Order: sequence, then structure tokens, then C-alpha cells
Amino acid sequence: MSDFLLTQIINYGAPILGLVLFIGALGVPFPGTFLVIAVGAFCRQGLLSWPVTGLVAFIFVVLGDCLSYSLGYYARDPVLRRLSASRQWTQAEKSFQSWGGMSIFLTRFLITGIAVPVNLIAGTGSFPFRHFLLYDVLGEVIWIFGYGGLGYLFGTQWELVSDFISNFGGFALGLVILGVGIWLGIRRLRALDATKSKTQEFQ
Amino acid sequence: MTSSRQRILITGLILFGIVIVGFFGWRTFHAFREFRGHRPPLFPAEGAVVPETDVELIRDWMTIGFLSKTYRTPPDLLYKALGIRPNGNEHKSLKQLNDEYFPETPGYVLKTVKAEIQAWLPPPTEISPPTKIPPSTEIPPVSP
Repeated sequence: MSDFLLTQIINYGAPILGLVLFIGALGVPFPGTFLVIAVGAFCRQGLLSWPVTGLVAFIFVVLGDCLSYSLGYYARDPVLRRLSASRQWTQAEKSFQSWGGMSIFLTRFLITGIAVPVNLIAGTGSFPFRHFLLYDVLGEVIWIFGYGGLGYLFGTQWELVSDFISNFGGFALGLVILGVGIWLGIRRLRALDATKSKTQEFQ
Repeated sequence: MTSSRQRILITGLILFGIVIVGFFGWRTFHAFREFRGHRPPLFPAEGAVVPETDVELIRDWMTIGFLSKTYRTPPDLLYKALGIRPNGNEHKSLKQLNDEYFPETPGYVLKTVKAEIQAWLPPPTEISPPTKIPPSTEIPPVSP
């Protein structure tokens, strides 16, 4: 898939990149980071114009993110009908209101694997759209121009950069999963301790 | 959520997290070691054209047009070496050309293109040995 997309980008340039990033932002698993770094290198080789390509990529990826946010937003009613009574949903909604901005920002460029679920949760949990757009734009600027800039800097050696960044993204995702697991574990242990001490007091 | 379900979910998350961290941590470490040994190439002076010279960077997703721009090689030379016409093949990758014209010889197009570009590139310039600096001679003291 990556090879096919690279061939199409060197043939048709920025519009194809924009389309791929737009579809990727809706959840289709395209190798976005890999392509952004590669395109940075193509710009250095003079094959593509970096201001035009960067701008097209940025606009399309932000549009894709907004669309996936709106999918979550319009799916809100059926989701709420099922879950609004549950304590877990209320807790998840509350914690997203406080951590949502950082999650949106970091999933744009560091833990890109969970960017789409975060967009959907932001929409469903009625995270304010203006705030979503602000964190999204900040994160995508780093993704497009920061990673693309690395590709530009390393030129034909871009594969090394891409390899490192892709693996580091997976590593960061693993840390997040592990962190959530440990956090839930600690909460459960505390809840169990509290129940035990209550039982002892009662006796 | 029942207590046993919660326990399964938490254990699953922790185990899955450990596996992902271990797998990608190992790959990140190797990628970093590879990456650390390389420095970004220098930027050429304004307007200067510096063609790529390392044919080992050629991949089979590249097209003849892309290679001719990157290595400053005439495209016709590459098409001629492969024995195919440029018309209709401009947007095809080396892999597509191989699959279409040489299906019984995998990797033929990549190998031929690499060899042709290598032959076209100017030979590397020899670096002359450093010139010897003569030993310093003592300067006689200036008489008043």
C-alpha cells in the first residue's frame, strides 16, 4: 500500500497527498506519517513545492479531522440514549473535558494510531468544537511541517527518519495502554481497600 | 462491569501494553542506532544542482521520470536500457514495469536501472593526499 501511494504522489503531487490524508483522518489506515516525511524529501529534491504541498496537506487533514469530529457529534444522540445512565460514561465524559485538549494535541503527531477514536469521542462527548479545532490545528502543524521538515532536512535519507518515528509512535502508544492499565489497576485496588475497611468498621 | 470482567480488562491492558512497549521499544532502539550514524546532507548553495549519486537508494516504487530527475539522468537512456517505449509507461513504477514486461525475471528492472544510472554517473573524484608541510625554520633574532 505504501509503495503504491508513494508512486501516486510522485506522479500526481499534492492533490493525491491531500486526498490520502483526508481519507486517513476518517479512519482508513493509511501510513500518513510515512508519507508526510517522504513528501518532505520530495520537496527538497525539487519535485514538489513545499509551501503548496504543505498547505494542501494541512487543509485536507484538518478537514478530515473536523468531519470525523462531526460524525461523533451526530452519533451523540443514539450513543447517549444507550449510555447516558451509566456511571462509566459520565466519568469518561468528565475526564475527557479535562484531558481532551492534550489528548487531541498529542494524537495528531505522537500517538497517531488513536487520533480517529479521539475525534469521535470529542464529538460524542460534546467537547467544544472551537477548542477541538485549536488543539487539532496546533498538533497538525507539528505533524505536517515538523515531520515534513525532517524529511526535507534528511532528503534521500528520509527512510531512516520515517523508520524511527513510526516505531517511536508505536512505543508511545504502548506506554499509553500500559499507563491506562496501571491506572485502572490502582483505582480498583483502592476501591477494594475502601470496601474492606468499610466492612471492618461495620463489623 | 463485574469484578472479574474488570480484572480481565486490566490484566489484558497491562499485558498488551507490555507487549507493545517491548516490540516497538526494540524496533525504536534499532532504528535510533541506524539513524544516529547519519547526518543530514548539506544544503547546496542557492541555485546549485546536486544530483543524488547513491544508487542503493533506488526503490521499486520509483518511476523512471522520478529517477531521471533525482539522478539527473536522461529518461530515454533508462527506457532504452530496458528495451521499452516511454509512451504509456511514464507513470508506472519500476515494479509495475517489471510485472508487465519481465514477469519471469523478478527484480530485473530495478537491477538494470541501478546499473545504467551507476554507469551514467561521473566517476567519484579522487581526494589528493595531504600536502606535507615543511618543518618550521627558526627565524634569526633581529639585531638592533
